[in-house]
Amino acid sequence: MILDAIAASILQSGIVPEGTRVQVFQEIYWVFLGLGTLVGAVVIGYMLYNGYKYRYQGGEDKDEDRPKLGEIPTGGGKGKKLFTSLTLSAIIVISLIAWTYGTLLYVEAAPEQPDAGVDVHVEGYQFGWDFTYLNNAGNSTGVETTGTLRVPVDTRVNIEVTSRDVSHNFGIPGLKVKTDALPGYTTKTWFEASQTGNYTANCYELCGQGHSYMEATVVAMEQDEYEDWYASQQNQTSTQNSSTVAAGGA
Amino acid sequence: MSDDDLQTDGGTASALPGESHGDDAHLPPKSSVKRWLVTTNHKDVGILYTVTAMFFVLFGGVLALLIRAQMLSPRAPGTGPLSAMAYNQAVSLHGLIMVFWFLSPLAFGFANYIVPLQIGAEDLAFPRLNALSYWLYLTSGLLVFTSFFQGASFAGGWTMYAPLNIPAFMPSIGATTTVLALLMFTVSVTVGGVNFITTIHRMRAPGLTMRSLPLFTWSILLTVWMMLFAFAALLAALMILLSDRLLGTTYFAATTAGGSVLWTHLFWFFGHPEVYIVFFPALGAMAEIFQTFSGRRIVGRKWFIVSMVLVALQSFIVWMHHMFLTAINLQVKTLFMATTIGISLPFDLMVFALIYTLIKGRIRWDTPMLFAFGSLVLFIVGGITGVFLGAVVLDYEFRGTYWVVAHFHYVMVSGVTALIGGLYYWFPKMTGKMYDEFLGKITFAVYFTGFNLLYFPMFLAWGTPRRVFAYRPEYLVWHQVASVGGLILGISFLMVIYNLTKSLLSGEEAAGNPWPYSTTAEWAVSSPPPMENFPGTPSYTSGVLEFLGDDESSESSSGTAAADGGTATDGGMVVHEGDHEEEVHIDHASYWPLVIAVFSFIAAVGLSGLQLGSYPEGLGGTFYMATSLIGSLGVIGAVSGMGYESFTAHEGGAGEAWPFEGVENTKLGIWVFLASDVVLFGAFIGAAIFIRVDYGWMQWQPVPHTAIPGLVNTYLLLTSSFSVILALVAAQKGSRNGVLAGLVTTFFLGIGFLVNKAIEWIELFHEGVWLSTNVRASTYFLTTGLHMGHVVAGLLITAYLIWRAWGGAYTDGNDEPLEYFGLYWHFVDIVWLFLFPLFYII
Repeated sequence: MILDAIAASILQSGIVPEGTRVQVFQEIYWVFLGLGTLVGAVVIGYMLYNGYKYRYQGGEDKDEDRPKLGEIPTGGGKGKKLFTSLTLSAIIVISLIAWTYGTLLYVEAAPEQPDAGVDVHVEGYQFGWDFTYLNNAGNSTGVETTGTLRVPVDTRVNIEVTSRDVSHNFGIPGLKVKTDALPGYTTKTWFEASQTGNYTANCYELCGQGHSYMEATVVAMEQDEYEDWYASQQNQTSTQNSSTVAAGGA
Repeated sequence: MSDDDLQTDGGTASALPGESHGDDAHLPPKSSVKRWLVTTNHKDVGILYTVTAMFFVLFGGVLALLIRAQMLSPRAPGTGPLSAMAYNQAVSLHGLIMVFWFLSPLAFGFANYIVPLQIGAEDLAFPRLNALSYWLYLTSGLLVFTSFFQGASFAGGWTMYAPLNIPAFMPSIGATTTVLALLMFTVSVTVGGVNFITTIHRMRAPGLTMRSLPLFTWSILLTVWMMLFAFAALLAALMILLSDRLLGTTYFAATTAGGSVLWTHLFWFFGHPEVYIVFFPALGAMAEIFQTFSGRRIVGRKWFIVSMVLVALQSFIVWMHHMFLTAINLQVKTLFMATTIGISLPFDLMVFALIYTLIKGRIRWDTPMLFAFGSLVLFIVGGITGVFLGAVVLDYEFRGTYWVVAHFHYVMVSGVTALIGGLYYWFPKMTGKMYDEFLGKITFAVYFTGFNLLYFPMFLAWGTPRRVFAYRPEYLVWHQVASVGGLILGISFLMVIYNLTKSLLSGEEAAGNPWPYSTTAEWAVSSPPPMENFPGTPSYTSGVLEFLGDDESSESSSGTAAADGGTATDGGMVVHEGDHEEEVHIDHASYWPLVIAVFSFIAAVGLSGLQLGSYPEGLGGTFYMATSLIGSLGVIGAVSGMGYESFTAHEGGAGEAWPFEGVENTKLGIWVFLASDVVLFGAFIGAAIFIRVDYGWMQWQPVPHTAIPGLVNTYLLLTSSFSVILALVAAQKGSRNGVLAGLVTTFFLGIGFLVNKAIEWIELFHEGVWLSTNVRASTYFLTTGLHMGHVVAGLLITAYLIWRAWGGAYTDGNDEPLEYFGLYWHFVDIVWLFLFPLFYII
């Protein structure tokens, strides 16, 4: 209860990135990259500086207490400096991760409006992707596509992903969403496209000979164009159903 | 006092006057092939490991160059130097060979050679087992080579995920052979782990407490403890996979509850400790080299050791960070995010410790130091990028991309870099020759350039999916740079090999201690050291390393001060003259390890032909069947031969032996082996429980119809444990008949267990319930089958013990074999006490 309250207040404070997954990822990625490069440059620079400054130059050795062959090892002292450095790096690392934890909670949170948005069941196979659109109850609406996933922009798309043979992984790099596709399991995630256009989905888990070419296209469309397309798909499905009924066959 | 005065006096511990090099007389000379086939000496085995590992780096390196050739541009279907199937094999075997057949064996080449010298031991605790570890390693590598010729080798990544790894999706025989090879390698590692744990704990010189152990030995000690438990989990995973492939069980089938994720758990529970197993020896080498070449003691040495211990322990609680995108829930992800960040902190401390060691040093930038320093730079880059992966939200995007590939190559190959530094560092000790220093520096420049040209662009092109050769055009230039870098890195490896080979043949003679400021015991003896390593008994009780004569060493181990007679006090070591006759003849050669490994290879080749419970038709099937039979019988015969062979090794316990004082070497070895067996069964039981939970606990019916046969078996086993105890008591009383009665009772009770089980299983088989029927049957038969295999092995040993007891053994005061067998047999019984309720009752 207390942790939930803390989490809620952190999320509302504005420190934690929110928005589409693309926005969220970019913000965190650049902060990490900047800090990581800075820390790396400082540490490696310090190493190189000391390596140069204390290089052997011959001459007299002022420090007589050098390591000697056969001695029982003793610590070299300077434990305090070590712990200061460790504490500093621990603070940096832990606060970075705590910050991203806030984003993790945001990303993993249930949608504010569970019934809004588009729900799709994604099934991977060797070597392609099938998409089945779902209604609010989680059942198929009859609209199914292979190799292309059409979604409306500015709308949360909830996907539940699985596989019907080996393990795959469904990822759309342009929309910064990715999840495993495991046989016997369903993983869930979501994405939201803020711009229309075509995005490529790839497979990110080695799955056999066709792994390199196991792609799908995600087409983000304007809301009304999407609804037109979706309606036409539904008409086709019901037409097919009624024609099969009329033909009296399975 | 200038550096020029800093020469060790008694540094070259050559043989004392009047003593011939008689130790070597029992072994053929180093120039003969036979020497290398039968030797059990740790220095010889160390050289065998090191040289063989260099062959495997070339093998893995060629595969890497093939990968980079394919990646020179995005390939349309059907184009490129490799087909998709060939490419998948290349990436998979590149990873497997580098991680298993190159990195750890190179480290263990040094461990074998250097650790006994550093702790003051004359060899490992179990020299024949040491040779056996090496020969199993070599033959398992030959098995990998063979796999390419049996259809196709394994093509599912070094991570071997399920269900891609089962015959339904990967039918080639070569894939099975690869798994068998890895299983053989695991056996090699487990044997080696038992050996090193026993040695490092029990065979240290007096005065060399755990806290005083050199950092390289510490790193090896922690490596082998991790190996013991991690490889047991891998062994379980491989045995289950082999059972699916060879026998047709259905653990990892796509339709089995939990199948795909079960493999992931088993593999990564092993896989994460494995990366530290691979890195720790490099860390130990870095610590030694930093200290020796900067002339400053490691800063915060005590905390360095604590950090290594913490990492070793924590390595077992981070594995699910490889599974952040599976269906595990948010709380579990959070826990493993926290533990992953937690494990980075001890590494931070160790990195800082090494850097601060440079301060106020007199750093000599010789080749070993260049490589060690370079390794730390690369490790820092790799470590920072690893923090990115620990942030779950970032990992969501980095998963399966070249960010991961670049990260782990930076950390893993920085380990290689440090080990190359170790290679140059210890080369003079191991060969007695000095390498070419100038060429070494040039090699480092080429190496470091090639490394960064190869791996840094992978960060820039991180969007490339892993194991894929069709990528977006904007990454083209980075992949081209990387391929060029790969070539340069490969050339630098050839330069290393050239330098060391040339120096071996015609280099300058190396002193016992070519490095000022070195401190550890291997530098206090000649290069290379004599067969028995030291000119006396090493001892640290006086506060510095000394070599005591026979009379003095017995005094020092009883706590009195070492006898005087010219103890120099300049900080060098002291060599006392005195009688140093060997009272006990120590063996150094045996051909059984080689024979066991060869028959294991043959058996594995034969077994690879088995698929889903049967051999193929025709001549091929007959060949595989016959080979399996010959190999298996040969292994049993050779193991018996090795058991029967009389072989005297050095005993431990004369010096420091914490915490195993009073536990004799063989007994400790058996306890350690049983500890790994516990993890093995734990993984099997865990796997069965995991599947059952996913299946639905209450929907799962036990396979046996009634618990009565299981109950009978429980009584049979418990009684047989009791009869073993009676046999031991009879041995202590000197009663040959009592011993025979106890052992024969045990034997027949064990046979009763097998007969009872056979009846039960035949009945099930007639009902159509067998291994492949469903996953309940699979888990039941395989887990109780593994236990049954242990019973069979125990009965074979019992038969051997009966035969020897008939001849009067064990009643002459030498009853340890009975005690050791008892330990094993009680373990087998205790395991049954867990299996019986799990598979018959609940």
